Amino acid sequence: MAERKKRERPAFNKDVAAAIGRHYKNVQTNKPVAYALMSSNPLIEVAYAAGIQPAFPENYACVCAARHVSKEYCGKAETRGYAQDLCSYCKNNLGYLYSADKNPPMGGIGEPDLLLMTSSACTHYFKWWDLLHEIYQKPLIFVNTPRVMEPDAIPDYYVDFAQREIEEAIVEMEKILGTDISHKRLAQTVNQSDQVVQYWQKLLELQKNVPSPLGLSDLTNALFVLIVLAGTREGVELMKKIYHETARLAEEEKGVLTRGEEKHRLLWLNIPFWYNLKLLGYFEDRGCVFPISDYGKYVWGTTRMDGNRSIEGLARKALGGELNTSVDAHMDRILEDIRSYRIDGVIAHSNKSCRVLSVGALDVIEAIRKTLNIPVLILDGDHADERVYSETEVMTRIDTFLDMLG
Amino acid sequence: MSTALEKMAHNVQNAPAVLKEIKTRTSRNMIGFFFPVVPEELIYAAGLHPFQIYPHFHETITEADVHLQPYLCSYVRAGWDQILKGRYPFLDGVIIPRTCEAVTFLYQTWKRHNPFRFIDYLNVPWKKSANTIQFFAKELRRVKKNLETFTGKEISRDALNETITLYNSHRALLKKAYELRKAKAPPLSGLAALNMVMSGFILDKREHIQLVEQLLTEIVQTPPLPKPGVRLLVSGGCVIDTQLWEMIESCGGLIVADDVINGSRSFWHVVEEDREPLESLARAYATIPCAFNTSIGDRYEFISELVTEYKVDGIIFAINKNCEAEEFDYPELDRRVRERLKIPTLLIETDYLINMEPLRTRVEAFIEILTPEGV
Repeated sequence: MAERKKRERPAFNKDVAAAIGRHYKNVQTNKPVAYALMSSNPLIEVAYAAGIQPAFPENYACVCAARHVSKEYCGKAETRGYAQDLCSYCKNNLGYLYSADKNPPMGGIGEPDLLLMTSSACTHYFKWWDLLHEIYQKPLIFVNTPRVMEPDAIPDYYVDFAQREIEEAIVEMEKILGTDISHKRLAQTVNQSDQVVQYWQKLLELQKNVPSPLGLSDLTNALFVLIVLAGTREGVELMKKIYHETARLAEEEKGVLTRGEEKHRLLWLNIPFWYNLKLLGYFEDRGCVFPISDYGKYVWGTTRMDGNRSIEGLARKALGGELNTSVDAHMDRILEDIRSYRIDGVIAHSNKSCRVLSVGALDVIEAIRKTLNIPVLILDGDHADERVYSETEVMTRIDTFLDMLG
Repeated sequence: MSTALEKMAHNVQNAPAVLKEIKTRTSRNMIGFFFPVVPEELIYAAGLHPFQIYPHFHETITEADVHLQPYLCSYVRAGWDQILKGRYPFLDGVIIPRTCEAVTFLYQTWKRHNPFRFIDYLNVPWKKSANTIQFFAKELRRVKKNLETFTGKEISRDALNETITLYNSHRALLKKAYELRKAKAPPLSGLAALNMVMSGFILDKREHIQLVEQLLTEIVQTPPLPKPGVRLLVSGGCVIDTQLWEMIESCGGLIVADDVINGSRSFWHVVEEDREPLESLARAYATIPCAFNTSIGDRYEFISELVTEYKVDGIIFAINKNCEAEEFDYPELDRRVRERLKIPTLLIETDYLINMEPLRTRVEAFIEILTPEGV
């Protein structure tokens, strides 16, 4: 890849980097630590309310991939019998565990005191967390939410069930902690989580501006705040800052590219290649920006919550994310967003070890091509295992696609 | 071979034709489903014919590739491919349960492209608690209502209770046949047992009960298998390729037990008959030990009991490529089996339309190691 043009990134990226550093330090120093599944996990807010420090193996896999360590961890897991096609987040975590690396990225995520899991993400995550439960012999608190197949018509009994699951989880957590989790504190964390979501949703609206104020790498940094700091005061302050800086950029008609530079507005489907985020810079050099990705728009921060009805809000959060509903259940929204964000091309990551974002994705691609007559480029890869990624092949395909876009 | 066994094998090998004949003969609408976690009693009590969907035609996947990536489970892809090609003209509807990603998320694709009149999905709980069972019963109530709308006829409590009794009898008979495999010289091969169970996925349960009863009568008059062979257990997900079972047994193994979806996992449960039927169904079907909904600890217990009761000498983990839940459990299950049960294991990666010959070499070597000297 040719030398990239240096671009000034929004200042908040440095704040996010500092927050990431603080988070990993907290994971190593605070007690108790809970491994928490990230995707739509309603227990993240509960953990913060209870004074439990959550650690996120999925996020850690992204960190390891960005540092190019994940490939080794994935390989290590495979030597223990884990199949190559298993989710690379899981394999990264198992490889990290089995490697007992003395110098892991960000100092590692240590060992958990408890495990907080929900079924609102990938099906096999249940297997992953069950295995962690077996390995660490630590309590597994599991919110078994139902899969939502009709996101626009969630039955009431689904919400009731999810609420009951969360209530039972809270009781279990209280037993482990030996103390009650304050309702007031939980309401506060839920409200704070909602404020983060509110800023995030407003931020995504700003991305409709031309030029797009942020690029996909900025958005993925902001995702850290939305997910990992959900429910914290730090999260609210940081997301507020991100929003205001972005709003200022939009007002000044500034973007990652200038209006003159921004030739194409692309949509990224699926998870980015965490080990090659610099690829996004290459797109920018070619005059392309990603105002949104489906991963950033529909998986996270989709549900507003109210601290006066904390449990219901958390239940709806767990039920509503894309990973709990399926990619193509969002097809109409994707088509609508392509129009409203003035997207003229789509990059679809065909993610080999991510089933949940793959089943149905081809139908979405077909609909984009046929309904909107917008070109779609499919790139083979994986979210965290760069061993299956071919730089030469990917770059050749991208260049051909961008040449075609003009 | 007994007449009943011949009929069973014929039904499995010619499933689409058999189903077509049933439809013509009975005029009943047919509802297919994936995985045995769907309580088919509900479908049956609605006056419909339930059957499990598998890719019954041994043909290359072509049309499904447009919808499902090649790195997804090939059995789901093949099943969907054959549906798209119109190979199941007798199918009137489908129930898709929450199982693996490939099946669960097929719902939206299916709804968009399928030509059938009925489609529903069913959340199956992973956790076994009062709250999850109660929820599962509510899911069944919703599906029941949808089936009633489809048929225009209420499913009465009596009809449901009668069906539960019928299905319990069926499961009890299958278990009785499996019991015979505990003998030192079992009268039933693994392949025969597989055909027995899988023909039950196709036929009306009353008809299948008669067939299993016939088999049990004929078995008494049949001498035990001449060479009992090394006693094996096969563990995996959808291990439906009869050629695989045939190959293993042709190498000198005798499959005396299994931990597969299309085997014992599908009928080990008993539905309580003296309770509210939907709650009874929910309680029973939540215990089916598939990989996607069962902890490693519970799966190990299930396998361990089978190993002890059926005096198993070795386990073959036959795991389909891209079957995440099975792939995930395998390393830890394998470790436990070796360390705690002290029996050898073999892992073979299987796939739709796989060539058996490379696998044969490995199975032969495994069985050779397990064969006592001088035999």
